[in-house]
Amino acid sequence: MSRVFKALADPTRRAVLQHLRRRPMTAGELSALFPVSKPTMSAHFAVLREADLIDADKQGTTISYRLKLSVLEDALLEFAHAFGIGAGPAAADGNSTHHREGPAS
Amino acid sequence: MIIRQLGYAIAFAALVLAAAAGLREAVASGALDAESAKRIMQAMLGLGLAGYGNFMPKKLGRPRRSPEAEARMQAALRVGGWAMTLAGLVYALLWALAPLPLADTGGTIAVAGAAAITLGYALWCFAACRGARGASAQR
Repeated sequence: MSRVFKALADPTRRAVLQHLRRRPMTAGELSALFPVSKPTMSAHFAVLREADLIDADKQGTTISYRLKLSVLEDALLEFAHAFGIGAGPAAADGNSTHHREGPAS
Repeated sequence: MIIRQLGYAIAFAALVLAAAAGLREAVASGALDAESAKRIMQAMLGLGLAGYGNFMPKKLGRPRRSPEAEARMQAALRVGGWAMTLAGLVYALLWALAPLPLADTGGTIAVAGAAAITLGYALWCFAACRGARGASAQR
């Protein structure tokens, strides 16, 4: 559960989840929506995947993400969004996750 | 994955049976009256339904071919999950606190309503998806 709280604490990750609420998106599509580097976005995706909030499907070089929220996690996301918890973007968890995820494609 | 889900379902069934046996013993020994035992059992079932509904949107299955179908499937799971979770909580609360006739009727209406919403929304999503596919095939 602490992984879920950690994942939802960052506004960028919450925004990623809000975009995925509308439809599944590729890593490239999501990265294009945020003014951060692709490795940073990859680290955000890794945090969300570790918390089991998104599901990744790799097709060739493209990774598609889709939302995987329980009702409680959905409610927590709305709560965090409404009250602006973690107003400043948190660090996307260091460089180690960049290597695991690979480039956002 | 399926084995783990089956394990949870069997564990929950065992818990329900054990609780039923325990409550029956408690009533037989005079530690608990029959109404309280019934209320505890029904509230437990309501919480079980809420727990199942909570995890419903996480059971995604394989990705669909079209993003449209995937989005609609996820929306159906989300609506169903919310409906079942809320219905389970209402059912549990009614059986815990409300007078018996109200708990009986209200609980049934809540669960039946949630089931109707879940099924209705899933069918609507399926029909909308088929309609969109048919329209794109005609073009």
